[in-house]
Amino acid sequence: MMPDLSQVGPAVDPAAPVPVDSKVPAVVFDHVSKTYGRIHALSNINLAISGGVTGILGLNGAGKSTLFNLLMGRCRPSSGEVRLFGIDPWKDPSPYARVGFVPESEKLHDWMTAGDFVATFARLHGLGREQAQAEAERVLTFVGLQENIHSEIGRFSKGMRQRVKIAHALVNDPDLIVLDEPLTGCDPLARTTIMNVVRELGRMGRTVLVSSHILHEIERITEQIVLLHHGQVLALGNVHGIRARLDRIPHRILIHTDDANRLAKTTLDLEHVHGVLLPGEGKVEILTHDLGAVHSALPSLLVNGGFNVHRIDNPDDDLESIIGHLVGGGGA
Amino acid sequence: MADEATKAWAALDRKATAVAEFTLRQYRTRLSTWVVVGCVAVALGTILLFYLQAMSEEVVAVDNDGDASDPDGDGYPTGQEVSLGTDPYFALDHPGNFDPPVAPDPPERWIDEDGPSFSNAVVLDGSTTFGVDDDGDCSGADVPERSKDSNGNGEACDIVLRTTYSGASYMLSDGAVDEDPSEAALLPEVTHRAFLLGYGKLGVVFIVGIFVPLFLASGLIRTEIASGTMHYMLAKPIARGEVLLYRMLGYLTLVWPVSAALVLLSAVVTGLAAPGDGWLRVSDLGLWLAILLATWLALLVYGMLFMTLGVMWRFGIVLAIPFAAWEFGMAFLSMGLPSSPLLRVSVIGWCLSIIDAATRLVWKDHDLFVAYTSDGTVWGSAGPPGEALAFLTSNAPFDLSPTWNIAIAVLVLLLQAGLIWLVGAALFNGKEIA
Repeated sequence: MMPDLSQVGPAVDPAAPVPVDSKVPAVVFDHVSKTYGRIHALSNINLAISGGVTGILGLNGAGKSTLFNLLMGRCRPSSGEVRLFGIDPWKDPSPYARVGFVPESEKLHDWMTAGDFVATFARLHGLGREQAQAEAERVLTFVGLQENIHSEIGRFSKGMRQRVKIAHALVNDPDLIVLDEPLTGCDPLARTTIMNVVRELGRMGRTVLVSSHILHEIERITEQIVLLHHGQVLALGNVHGIRARLDRIPHRILIHTDDANRLAKTTLDLEHVHGVLLPGEGKVEILTHDLGAVHSALPSLLVNGGFNVHRIDNPDDDLESIIGHLVGGGGA
Repeated sequence: MADEATKAWAALDRKATAVAEFTLRQYRTRLSTWVVVGCVAVALGTILLFYLQAMSEEVVAVDNDGDASDPDGDGYPTGQEVSLGTDPYFALDHPGNFDPPVAPDPPERWIDEDGPSFSNAVVLDGSTTFGVDDDGDCSGADVPERSKDSNGNGEACDIVLRTTYSGASYMLSDGAVDEDPSEAALLPEVTHRAFLLGYGKLGVVFIVGIFVPLFLASGLIRTEIASGTMHYMLAKPIARGEVLLYRMLGYLTLVWPVSAALVLLSAVVTGLAAPGDGWLRVSDLGLWLAILLATWLALLVYGMLFMTLGVMWRFGIVLAIPFAAWEFGMAFLSMGLPSSPLLRVSVIGWCLSIIDAATRLVWKDHDLFVAYTSDGTVWGSAGPPGEALAFLTSNAPFDLSPTWNIAIAVLVLLLQAGLIWLVGAALFNGKEIA
């Protein structure tokens, strides 16, 4: 048996996936805790996720990354059991043949071209050189980088880098895709592209886990969320149920613009806006009960009115105040 | 079943080539790789310049036995007078009185006249005997019979090489046998052999073998973890032990050809300047191959070790410093005291034993040559190069043929690498990479 240096012809047939046992959930956390010294990163997590897109929401330090580290076999649970397609990922890397992982780290091999990067990691699935090239082309096209296959990653924008990472996770058509904070630091265009890709994966029947600390991003992708707080599952299930409880309290949108007065008048006409304040020079504060509706109406309003906007903030709309409401039941 | 095995092989092989290729390309894009390679090349080149200088120096012939001198001042050198039966110490007795008179030889003719001939060496009763008395200093008719076998081995006019129980060898010469060799022929050969052994053992095997992996292998895993790019590889269906192995493979695809090129270049440069027949001395090729083999194995074992130290601990490379010091000591021990059992728990000891064994394969007369050129009682002119050659020459560890010694050393070094890999894989498997 000689080493297959020619790399011609099929190795393991990449088209034939590892037999999927539909009874085994993709991801199972069974009473999982993870402690680092005296710090409890995760306490008694019980989760079983299979199919569809699930948002893992939580503030920084809530345990999202630890959850993914356990799932990707990079850490060992202090107690409990983690199962990836029924297999302990700490002991056996074989389930990763069916998993694509997009790490949070922005580090990439900048010296490689996007095509080479993706093809290199495709070959770790047992694909030959040629097959890996074809696969790289396919997934880079899927994330909209077909023009940049032969460009060096070092010259990419943040959004493009994020999409390269996603592409690399999609080789070999995984059943489970795990994305750790994929939208962080991306420009709006990249955000939209990435969200579309994630939604598309969900439609294709893949199991997708997306972590984020921004509720609105997750809302635009999926309805199914897991809300982590201090290493525990605070809320689980449909986002609307959680949302309904939150919308009873008013939200603020803070816009920094050159002509605050004109913008204030214009925004008052919007539906769902129940108050507009001018807290300072060049600032407009909008009060609303339906943040989503106002946010979707704002862009066209700003563009049509020709406003020069410097910044848009949602002072209340961070997860922190929402979690505050959920935990305390009252104001943040 | 065979089909399944083939598939598994192919898949494994694809992963291996993917990671190795990736590693090699990563090295290629890093400036530091070429700085390390460049520094090593410059260092070796500088040492080679010393060799070229030594080879270009003119060797002055020395009259070791006084045959070229004329103590009685009659114009005839001693050698000529002795060979023609006149008294070299009596001015009135000289070959000029013969009928017809014999003209005096120029003294230079009697400077180098009795060198060793290693090819006529025979083993008698466990000790080697050799020596041909070309000029009659021992075998002449006027030499008393009892002086013709002063070493008492029953052979007249020879040199005997004996080995003591401790393994040291010493020479005993019958009177004036082979006492005046040609310095021009012997000294460059001594220098050449001493240089090849010193350069091969310390310059190539030790310096290249330990410094290149120190800079190039220790970061194979460590920097990938530190920079966060290891995530991509570990999220693929590949065991961590495999990652170690294939990264090492990528490292070897860089350092093995580079070291081969350096060794080949050294072989050509020294081959061109070396003493001997022809414009290129090819007879040392076997030794260069042994040096290359030892270097490759050193690069493998040290590379595996430094990579593992990098896995073990973020600053694990600090541990490489006492280790390198230990190996440095062992390198010298292997020359000073090659029978020391301590050498068996080192890497360099095994590497250098490959060269020691190969020395005997390439230079059949080497033990005699070393004994002859380093023993002042037989020939006084070898001096420092002879002593250096004696120091740099060691016995292979086992009382077996050189080939067996090489085979055992290679096997042990491969086992060392395998063992370190197992430890590294276990450490890496147990490491949480958050």
